[in-house]
Amino acid sequence: MRKPDVKIVLLGDMNVGKTSLLHRYMERRFQDTVSTVGGAFYLKQWRSYNISIWDTAGREQFHGLGSMYCRGAGAIILTYDVNHLQSLVELEDRFLGLTDTANTDCLFAIVGNKLDLAEEGAAEDQENEQDSSREAGGSCVPAKVPKQVKLEDAVALYKKILKYRMLDEKDVPAAEKMCFETSAKTGYNVDYLFETLFDMVVPMILRQRAEGPPQTVVISDYEKQPKQMKSGCCA
Amino acid sequence: MMTIKAFSLVSAVERELLMGDRDRINIECVECCGKNLYVGTNDCFIYHFLLEEKTLPTGTAAFTATKQLHRHLGFKKPVNELRAASALNRLLVLCDNSITLVNMMNLEPIPTGARIKGAVTFALNENPVSGDPFCVEVCIISVKRRTIQVFMVYEDRVQIVKEVSTPEQPFAVAVDGHFLCLALTTQYIILNYNTGVSQDLFPYCSEEKRPIVKRIGRQEFLLAGPGGLGMFATVAGISQRAPVHWSENVIGAAVCFPYVIALDDEFITVHSMLDQQQKQTLPFKEGHILQDFEGRVIVTTSKGVYILVPLPLEKQIQDLLASRRVEEALVLAKGVRRNIPKEKFQVMYRRILQQAGFIQFAQLQFPEAKELFRSGQLDVRELISLYPFLLPTSSSFTRSHPPLHEYADLNQLTQGDQEKMAKCKRFLMSYLNEVRSTEVANGYKEDIDTALLKLYAEADHNSLLDLLVTENFCLLTDSAVWLEKHKKYFALGLLYHYNNQDAAALQLWVNIVNGDICDSTRSDLYEYVVDFLTYCLDHELVWKYADWVLQKSEEVGVQVFTKRPLDEQQKNSFNPEDVISCLKKYPKALVRYLEHLVIDRRLQKEEYHTHLALLYLEEVLQQRPSANGKGAEVTEMQAKLRSLLQKSDLYRVHFLIDKIQGTGLHMESAILHGKLEEHEKALCILVHELKDFAAAEDYCLWSSEGRGDPYRQRLFHTLLAIYLRGDPSDCELVVPAVDLLNHHATEFDAAEVLQLLPDTWSVQLLCPFLTGAMRHSIHTKRMTQVALGLAKSENLIYKYSKMKLKGSSVQLSDKKLCQVCQNPFCKPVFVKYPNGGLVHTHCAANRHTNQNSPSPGNRT
Ligand SMILES: Nc1nc2c(ncn2[C@@H]2O[C@H](COP(=O)(O)OP(=O)(O)OP(=O)(O)O)[C@@H](O)[C@H]2O)c(=O)[nH]1
Ligand SMILES: [Mg+2]
Repeated sequence: MRKPDVKIVLLGDMNVGKTSLLHRYMERRFQDTVSTVGGAFYLKQWRSYNISIWDTAGREQFHGLGSMYCRGAGAIILTYDVNHLQSLVELEDRFLGLTDTANTDCLFAIVGNKLDLAEEGAAEDQENEQDSSREAGGSCVPAKVPKQVKLEDAVALYKKILKYRMLDEKDVPAAEKMCFETSAKTGYNVDYLFETLFDMVVPMILRQRAEGPPQTVVISDYEKQPKQMKSGCCA
Repeated sequence: MMTIKAFSLVSAVERELLMGDRDRINIECVECCGKNLYVGTNDCFIYHFLLEEKTLPTGTAAFTATKQLHRHLGFKKPVNELRAASALNRLLVLCDNSITLVNMMNLEPIPTGARIKGAVTFALNENPVSGDPFCVEVCIISVKRRTIQVFMVYEDRVQIVKEVSTPEQPFAVAVDGHFLCLALTTQYIILNYNTGVSQDLFPYCSEEKRPIVKRIGRQEFLLAGPGGLGMFATVAGISQRAPVHWSENVIGAAVCFPYVIALDDEFITVHSMLDQQQKQTLPFKEGHILQDFEGRVIVTTSKGVYILVPLPLEKQIQDLLASRRVEEALVLAKGVRRNIPKEKFQVMYRRILQQAGFIQFAQLQFPEAKELFRSGQLDVRELISLYPFLLPTSSSFTRSHPPLHEYADLNQLTQGDQEKMAKCKRFLMSYLNEVRSTEVANGYKEDIDTALLKLYAEADHNSLLDLLVTENFCLLTDSAVWLEKHKKYFALGLLYHYNNQDAAALQLWVNIVNGDICDSTRSDLYEYVVDFLTYCLDHELVWKYADWVLQKSEEVGVQVFTKRPLDEQQKNSFNPEDVISCLKKYPKALVRYLEHLVIDRRLQKEEYHTHLALLYLEEVLQQRPSANGKGAEVTEMQAKLRSLLQKSDLYRVHFLIDKIQGTGLHMESAILHGKLEEHEKALCILVHELKDFAAAEDYCLWSSEGRGDPYRQRLFHTLLAIYLRGDPSDCELVVPAVDLLNHHATEFDAAEVLQLLPDTWSVQLLCPFLTGAMRHSIHTKRMTQVALGLAKSENLIYKYSKMKLKGSSVQLSDKKLCQVCQNPFCKPVFVKYPNGGLVHTHCAANRHTNQNSPSPGNRT
């Protein structure tokens, strides 16, 4: 088994399409999925680097596993469903806390999936540019609903995340660059999402290599506040 | 669910051997160390068995356990856990919350009575931190709340080395180095007992469901997770493998690479760590313990002990391949790479790739098949041999044994489906074409190329010809038979040619052209044959087929002589006399050939020139038997004749004049007379016989070409004289005379002309001539003056330089060296260059002859 150089983790509520996104990117197709159990793992060769991508389970039952999956992550993709406001809310309420174990310089991407179902984003054509999605008529495809979550909402969340992680906006990629709207079904923006992230994590890999052996071998003492025993509290 | 047989379950210790018919006795724990199998029971007995493995004739493993000893520990408590420390020859026994040491062989307690008290459960450190081989590290969950203790256990004593307290009550423990992996009440954690640093893994409610913590390898643990997951975690607190999904009520788990085995109340399930898929399910009621001991997996009920015997990986892979699960087979093969010696693995893996390739091939998944064949370095003949009759009869190939696939041939594989068959053939074509020039083909290029030829021929494929005209290794006899069978006679000819059998090739092609055999590959085969003969080095063949090609077409056929490659022409390997005599029967060809000799090769031989002129002449005469020449169009042949007569100086003029006499070919006879310098005669013919004044003027021009002005002037004067000599009343010649003068004023000596002209001619009539002559005369005069002036001034310049050079004196001394040879001057003779340089006279002379030497001008 090749040792991955960096880890990217997909987080988000169940049914938002994490597995579908990853599947679309890796297998180049859209296929029926079953709700993920536990988690799954892909290794992607990008240039000369091995990037591991973890697909997590959104189901409440597996929520506790998230922290462990995020440990040492170089990038986290927070995924919501553009037609489902609650899925965005959950990202802040439930999933953000899981990212405490990620690397301090971990990148965050916020991804609104299932754009194809939204009226506004009826961009069926995979090749479409990002902005042209607004012009598409969408009258020909039935069962479209007005998009519930605006891109601005995602941008707002991104800024909240920076506050939560106590990061300065100046030190991280701009919100506009890190908020994506995708469709795993049509493939819209999917390659763009992953490849933008891959390109961004490459410098992290180089930095890590320069700093010495990966921190995965020994428990990193410098990780934010080793969870000291809550001992004594009931003694 | 796609399953695979990874393990078979065999019984190790029969129930009777343990407890006979005493029903209340249950197995509590087992330990296996080498051949020693220990069983602990609820009635405080330890049993020691010797385990013998043997292979049954059917190939499956079987075990017999022979009881060595059993011993009661003296309590009324069950034996909870047993662990062997073989280096110490000790068995660690947990009973009644206390770990005692007994001798592994006789089960006697050690005399010192050393023990660890207050243990709920314990784990041995298989990656110990102390380097001491005579000590094992034991980690216990203490009866004291939230306490873990670490002990060093020696042959006859124990020593506590560490006690750590945990945030919650621990339920299960595994240890690797300094790292404890603990199942606490609500979560799993990794705890470094040396530093006290801990790392949360994930929440788990140990009170609701029995936790599992199992060390599976260096720094890695397997844990029971929520929702029936088997989770992997490293000591760093991360997961490097995706979880496997077993059932909710797992009571035991073990790893036997690459499989994770789990036990619940009804089944033993087997998952692959490589792709997380469930691979096998074995029904197993009332399972109680599942544990692996140095690769041996033991499972028990409360009454009997069983062993899960792994099937050899190769067998598993073969089973997968047999059920066409290529992807899984490859994943498994790759996954176990490190468990098999490298050499053996490579051979095995290559074979698997090849087999997988054939599976894909049989499903017509050609790109996949190709990739597998390529990476598996398949002997291409394995593939070729699937196709009936493709391998040459002489091929020494035999299929590998055991076979790579189950198919006798393509017919069986496609079940006679013609369309599929065609697809397979197309694939093989492209595949062979791709590999034939790579190193894959080394050693059996003949087999490959011959097979390819057969495929192409059968499919009527264009590339057949390309194959045969470029470097190839097609076997002659085999290919010839096949090509003949498929009526590819043209290609067969190419094959013969490639094998240096040009005679056979030509015979075939000639037969095709003659219609004796049928092959429409080339509609221009005749031209092809001519071309072939033109470049054919075997002259006998050229002679042999010369008549045949000439009979088909004289013009085209003659090319075998006229278009031969230049280097061969220069060697003159075809004697022109021979060719000419051969061509006697083919007049058109003969003309072409002579033209070739005279015009293209410029052979300066009188015979050829005369012969050619004569043939032209005959042809001209034949074309116009009643020719009087007047007004008739000049035929192509006539033009050629004239051109030859004009340009060549080699033919026999008198001979031709005789031939041409009385034929009315005035122009031609004028040319001939001209050749004899009988210009007057020639011009008379043109003026009087032909009355073609323009031609007469022309004659003056071309006859004098390159012979200087006076010669031309003479011709013009001759022509003028002929005009004027006529009867003055005969106005017929006046007009051309006047025109001649007016058009060519400068070609005449005006003074002489004026004397000749009749007085009756008006000035007006001759105005252009007079003006022209005048202008010419004046022009000539002025040009002469200019030239004179220039010459004078040039002379002056030279005089000036001469004066200047003479003006200064030159002193010769010992120090003055010649600029060319660098030697002093010995005599007062020297050459002085305009730039002042002095050299010996002989050096100057040398320098003029030898331009390479450096000029003295450059040196100064
Ligand atoms: N129309 C549409 N449907 C999608 C899209 N992406 C996913 N789906 C569908 O949404 C459902 C859930 O997709 P999954 O990829 O399984 O969702 P998930 O986030 O992995 O869910 P969990 O594994 O339970 O966390 C499936 O039925 C998908 O077919 C999309 O872009 N457009
Ligand atoms: Mg999923």
